[in-house]
Amino acid sequence: MSNRFYRNKWLPLWLASPQLVVLFFFFYLPVFLAFFWSFHLERPFGGGSQFVGWQNFERVLSDPEFWTSLWRTLTYMVVASSTSIICALVLALAADRGIRMSPLARNVLIWPKAVAAASIGVIFLFIFNPFMGILAPLNEMFPGFWNPRINPVHTWIMIYIANIWSAIPFTFIILLTGLQSIPDTLHKAAAIDGAGPWRRLFDIQLPLLTPQLFIVVVLEIADSLSGSFALIDTMSQGGPGGATNLLVYKIYVDGFKAYDLSGAATQTAMLMIVVAAVTAFQYLVVEKRVKYER
Amino acid sequence: MKLLKIAASALMLSTAATAVNAAQFEFWYGNTGSVETAIQAACDAFNASQEEHTANCIGQGGYEAGMQKAIAAYRSGKHPVLIQFFDAGTLDLMLSDAVVPVQEIMPEVNWGDYLTGARSYYETSKGELFSQPYNGSTLIFYANMEQLGEVGVKDVPATYEEMVEVARKLKEAGHECPVTTDAHPWRVLEQFSARHGAPIASNNNGYGGLDAEYIFNEGPVADHLNNLAQWREEGLLKLNQDTKAGKYNVAFNQGECAMMEASTGSYRSAFEALGDKVEIAMAPMYEGVERRNTLIGGASLWVMKGHEGEKLEAAKAFLNYLRQDDVQIEFTRMTGYMPVTQSALTKLKDSGKAEMKEFATAEMGVNSLNQPGDANSRGLRLGFYVQFRDIFMEGTQKAFNGGQTMQAALDAAKARGDALLRRFEQTYRGVELP
Repeated sequence: MSNRFYRNKWLPLWLASPQLVVLFFFFYLPVFLAFFWSFHLERPFGGGSQFVGWQNFERVLSDPEFWTSLWRTLTYMVVASSTSIICALVLALAADRGIRMSPLARNVLIWPKAVAAASIGVIFLFIFNPFMGILAPLNEMFPGFWNPRINPVHTWIMIYIANIWSAIPFTFIILLTGLQSIPDTLHKAAAIDGAGPWRRLFDIQLPLLTPQLFIVVVLEIADSLSGSFALIDTMSQGGPGGATNLLVYKIYVDGFKAYDLSGAATQTAMLMIVVAAVTAFQYLVVEKRVKYER
Repeated sequence: MKLLKIAASALMLSTAATAVNAAQFEFWYGNTGSVETAIQAACDAFNASQEEHTANCIGQGGYEAGMQKAIAAYRSGKHPVLIQFFDAGTLDLMLSDAVVPVQEIMPEVNWGDYLTGARSYYETSKGELFSQPYNGSTLIFYANMEQLGEVGVKDVPATYEEMVEVARKLKEAGHECPVTTDAHPWRVLEQFSARHGAPIASNNNGYGGLDAEYIFNEGPVADHLNNLAQWREEGLLKLNQDTKAGKYNVAFNQGECAMMEASTGSYRSAFEALGDKVEIAMAPMYEGVERRNTLIGGASLWVMKGHEGEKLEAAKAFLNYLRQDDVQIEFTRMTGYMPVTQSALTKLKDSGKAEMKEFATAEMGVNSLNQPGDANSRGLRLGFYVQFRDIFMEGTQKAFNGGQTMQAALDAAKARGDALLRRFEQTYRGVELP
């Protein structure tokens, strides 16, 4: 009976079909169209699509703005994901101990997950407002001390802080679960052998946490690409002077504000290749060093 | 059974609704705030004035957002009959093949009644209006006379030299923000070069053909932007990001800044906030340069392709309604935008209302539009111009913030702008400039 059930060739496909249909319409079709448009010169209102071969790619690849933006995006990917993971790890290590009130603290730390990135952007923009925000008193004392509307470094600091704040909860939950699944006996045995907290961290906790660390790195890197859009759009719109114009935002501006559908599609294709390469690197190279067995 | 009844009545209701909907049409607009209120008021008044047609007026939250949605809607065949588009998108629309010229579908209208400044921006090379000018604005100069009076200045400055002199007095008196602007290209590039008779691009700003090139990076525009940067250094001028309010017109309205260059469309909110203290004048000139006309800004109404029959008739009736003198005058009162036809302007003047502070922008703005013009003050026919505005803004902001020199920013903007124009030319290969 069960054999016949599993031998039906079409059944798995039928069961997977809802997912496949959704994937087709919302992922494969747009990806296909992006690649199609990247080889065509497309009129905004339609009606005059012409095949231009590699010309769009030549244009994009010879545009210094594209390379600056791509470089900025890669930097953001690394800095944003590492800062948020390190912060979440510190918090998770602190919450993992059996100290008083830690169940409450764990709950409170999860709240920001419920806030949309765009709302976080608006809130932090207000917090860091140079004239009304928390740093305004310092601006009164030292004029020009803080102005993220003018100084790109300040803008980046503001965006990274907002990103860390929004990324912590999810990463924190995963890391905390990982830490809690490490058997108590290992800690106790190590403590009896005279290992202090730091030694236990590096020799027991971190090595046993690698599966969780790997998954948060993968997720955070992917999220740093998509999640940055809402932050940039609400906080800096790519400014000041284009300093925070990440590739995702540039694609949006080129495609929707500037009606350059072909250029936006070409950059989307390039971005997809980069993301695919990064993800492949993570799974093919990094994952080999992850110990799933305990 | 009860459920069936409800379903049946719902069905009847919906069929009844479609019967009424026959002459209903959609109109998309981009403005928000007090202008949106005025547009909605005009829609309601149109719907109340007759029973045949119903205008369904839908705000899109901004000119650019409206354009984005229109592109998506047109590609999927769900576009409205009538849509408001802004000045910078004019050429993109003219060549889009998604709109029909208003003069072509409504030949009976006396289009010659529209002000020259409004016509030249929106007409084809054969003098045929492509869209119906609607919320026409232009650049004027605003001053807070209370603050100017404190340093003994009684008149609004007419030249930049005078403006700087007043600004220095204000600064010496301890005023933190004498002049404010956002340095948006509409103000510091387009309106500036039009009234100073300087070209932005070759081929008469593109009117002569799609192979135009940007040439603003040398001459008066470059000098002006360098001056702006220098005045900012000196503490005479604040950009959006330097003001407490975060936006130049809000900073002016709140009394943080004493003078600004802004659209006539900003008048209503300034007047509401400052009352009699606000005084306006034509935008300043550099001494020794003959004043040309400023360009019409704001937006116009376009009829989109693919609609016919009653919907189109309804849209035409709406366009005719909006053109009426009284409707235009009411719109001017509510917003500060100018009347765009000669007859509405004459009627406004004859009624004596033009003297009232509420209508101050009408005569001033039209006067600015009606200054003698030349080939460089007709308007712009430059492709992907919306994107160029962003490029210009990005480069000059970087220069203001000290990231590069102003000249380098302008040269880079020219180079990137030319690349856009070449791509536009290629995208519309074989299409004739109408």
